[in-house]
Amino acid sequence: MRIPREDRFADIEPLLGMVERPSRYLGHEWGAVEDQEGPFHACLIYADVYEVGQPYLGHAILYNELNDQEGISCERAFLPWVDMSALMRERGIPMLSLETASPVASFDLVGFTLAHELICTNILEALDLAQITLVAQDRGEDEPIVVAGGPSVWNCEPVAPFFDAVLLGDGEGLLVEVAQCVRDARTESVPRSVLLRRLAQIPGVYVPSLYEVVVDESSTRWGYAVPVEGSGAPARVLKRCLPRLDTTDPVAQRIVPYLEAVQDRLAIEVLRGCARGCRFCQAGMTYRPVRERPVEQVVQGVESGLGMSGFDQCSLSSLSTTDHSQCAQMLNSLHERLDRVGVRVSIPSQRLDSFGVEMAAAVGSSRRAGLTFAPEAGSQRLRDVINKNVTQDDLERAATNAFKSGYRRMKLYFMMGLPTETDEDVVAIPKTAERVVQIGRELFGPRSKVSVSISVAVFVPKSHTPFQWQGQLAFDEVRRRQQLLLHAAKDHAVRISYHDAEISLIDAVLSKMGRAGGELLMAAWRKGCRFDAWNDQFRFDLWQEAAAQVGIRLEEVASESYPLDVRLPWDHTSPGVTKGYLQREWRRATQGETTGDCTRHTCTGCGVCPTLGVRNELAATRS
Amino acid sequence: MTAEPCRLRVRYAKDGRLAFLGHLEVMNTIMRCVRRSGLPFEVSNGFAHRMRIQFSQALPVGASSQGEYYDLKLPYAPDSDDALARLVEATPLGLRPDAAVVLPRKVPALEAWASMSRWDVLVVGGVCSAQGFLKKVDQLVTDDVLEYLRGDKPRRISLQRALVSYEAFDTEEGMRVRLTTRASEQGALRPAILVRAAMGLDPLRVCRVAQWHEDTQGVRVDPMDKRRCLVW
Repeated sequence: MRIPREDRFADIEPLLGMVERPSRYLGHEWGAVEDQEGPFHACLIYADVYEVGQPYLGHAILYNELNDQEGISCERAFLPWVDMSALMRERGIPMLSLETASPVASFDLVGFTLAHELICTNILEALDLAQITLVAQDRGEDEPIVVAGGPSVWNCEPVAPFFDAVLLGDGEGLLVEVAQCVRDARTESVPRSVLLRRLAQIPGVYVPSLYEVVVDESSTRWGYAVPVEGSGAPARVLKRCLPRLDTTDPVAQRIVPYLEAVQDRLAIEVLRGCARGCRFCQAGMTYRPVRERPVEQVVQGVESGLGMSGFDQCSLSSLSTTDHSQCAQMLNSLHERLDRVGVRVSIPSQRLDSFGVEMAAAVGSSRRAGLTFAPEAGSQRLRDVINKNVTQDDLERAATNAFKSGYRRMKLYFMMGLPTETDEDVVAIPKTAERVVQIGRELFGPRSKVSVSISVAVFVPKSHTPFQWQGQLAFDEVRRRQQLLLHAAKDHAVRISYHDAEISLIDAVLSKMGRAGGELLMAAWRKGCRFDAWNDQFRFDLWQEAAAQVGIRLEEVASESYPLDVRLPWDHTSPGVTKGYLQREWRRATQGETTGDCTRHTCTGCGVCPTLGVRNELAATRS
Repeated sequence: MTAEPCRLRVRYAKDGRLAFLGHLEVMNTIMRCVRRSGLPFEVSNGFAHRMRIQFSQALPVGASSQGEYYDLKLPYAPDSDDALARLVEATPLGLRPDAAVVLPRKVPALEAWASMSRWDVLVVGGVCSAQGFLKKVDQLVTDDVLEYLRGDKPRRISLQRALVSYEAFDTEEGMRVRLTTRASEQGALRPAILVRAAMGLDPLRVCRVAQWHEDTQGVRVDPMDKRRCLVW
């Protein structure tokens, strides 16, 4: 018997005075869809707190699309912070949606965002707080259909046991089809097992329970998934791909939060996909092809979005905004219109090789605070291995242009533990930053307040990338190289921060494991792991205990490398990039050979266009 | 409409679930409402180009209000009814404005000027009657300095200075307390702090029913009284 759909705000209202940031639980923001008549009800969950999940653009796109459908209503839910969830459990209050404060378990369809690997324990926490059966195969006929989608579906095997279906690729159109399929099946009162088989027939939908895991000599110890005989599920599920971005509404974000969100601004997606081909980058492989939104649509979208929302900042978001063929034109046009009303336009980060004089002026015509670049590696040799395709000259030219445009601070992102990395590559990281400081001092004088912050992440090998066969750098070696990095920095104008090696280790474990990772997740969550992406909540000791309980060693799992011909746990799901291309890219990486960008040069043979029947859609020619 | 730069003073409520917004959240929300309304606000010339807007004193999180205020600096004076209508249209129900008046640019900043507040507080539970509560407050006022914690930080406030008047009644709903408080550079007395000190429990509801300025003769000046505001 499903939990009844009713407004339970009165249950949590007395708790609001007892918790941090009660505004997380209020709902009814400007732009929220208040009319939730259904009769089919879907709830999208971002399993982190409101201020982290609400700015997520994917949620906004799907929320609008579902609410635009006749007979389908869509609400949102976020994971309550630990203080609120403790009080809710104490009083037997289940997790509620924001719009109508209805129990999440009362919905027909519940959709989670797999934003990153470290959100996995939060998904279990959300399901448990919602009083939904954790393991999909144990769910009752009446319970909601629980699905997932998002950027981290590309090795979803560790969380696969908890989902009825996983949606691969662009959600536009796909989630509506899934909702319609569930609605029709419910109307016909077909059993859950039949409903799941129907879902598996929708292109882009992976139904984990229709696949079994086989471990043999051709696979890693985590095995590979094959369809259960007679299930009708495809041997390989290809992602869904939106052919053009200009067919979508540029203003997806219509809800204006009351509290300060982590990205507290209007976000307009100007471009989807990236063909630069960085070999470590999962998004660069899984979001192909490149689809640009034309400048007129962006400018119009920004103006109407700001008018509807009242935001005073706008971000032109994408994987690589400065690659947009009309980026400078877009920025100049927006600055001209918006500067006088105090609206700031920003872009997430800049590419070193496209940061010319014109771009430097366009990026920050109104403010000269700081700029962010991502060289990723300190030495040219290693930048070639990862196919970053930026040179020392690019870096020096970008720094010079930035300083000449009035910037005094710069932030540089690097990674540590990339394949083939040596101590010389590590030492080159602070040296690169010091060179940037030196350029600034040459321009502004030796006592100028030029500063460079460098942030160094630990490399995590991700599925569907040319580095997917690689192990993570051994844990102790990560720590040694972090010390080496700190000691190599001599200039006080260079500030160094690096990611927690323990958190990166768990990220790597969950990125490499197969379906057996579900047991690890369950054990870790039962021991109290949640909010693992929050440094102050992350409990490595509990993860170690959980690993011991399920009989694995975390360091060993993370650092394990595989031969190129092995069958991988995620081989049955595909973003369209072929395995042959990834293998070729790995071989080129080991030889230090770079590969071009197909939006500027010739096709690199990744396989996406012929496999998915799509192509790059640029608004103009890229320079 | 005149070409003179001015302030638009707006009175608004804070109620329903939006009573749980913090002051910063209220400020940000209202600034977004102003932008949505399309009113021609001014921005600062500094680095951040912020909207030129001033707010009355912060309300505690969870407290509702029937009379909050903000002053919006405009490059020219709009028709106040039209401006109010535009703001109402652009504001969520729980923060909806109900009055607006155009004032000259040079009136004192709201926060320090409107220092007096009247509160209506509902206390439910506990063993204390209204009479007992009043006795305890009498004693606290005699002792004068009330020490309390705000978060982890110890604070002190002089009740003889900050608490202007207090009344309490037993009702069917619970005990109702009416307080008048005065804010100063030493801080403002939050009703919940007084109730907690006197009864050891938190009030169920706190509502600010009015704010005003007290002139040197102790006469009350309504923030929306254009004629009297001009004197100051």
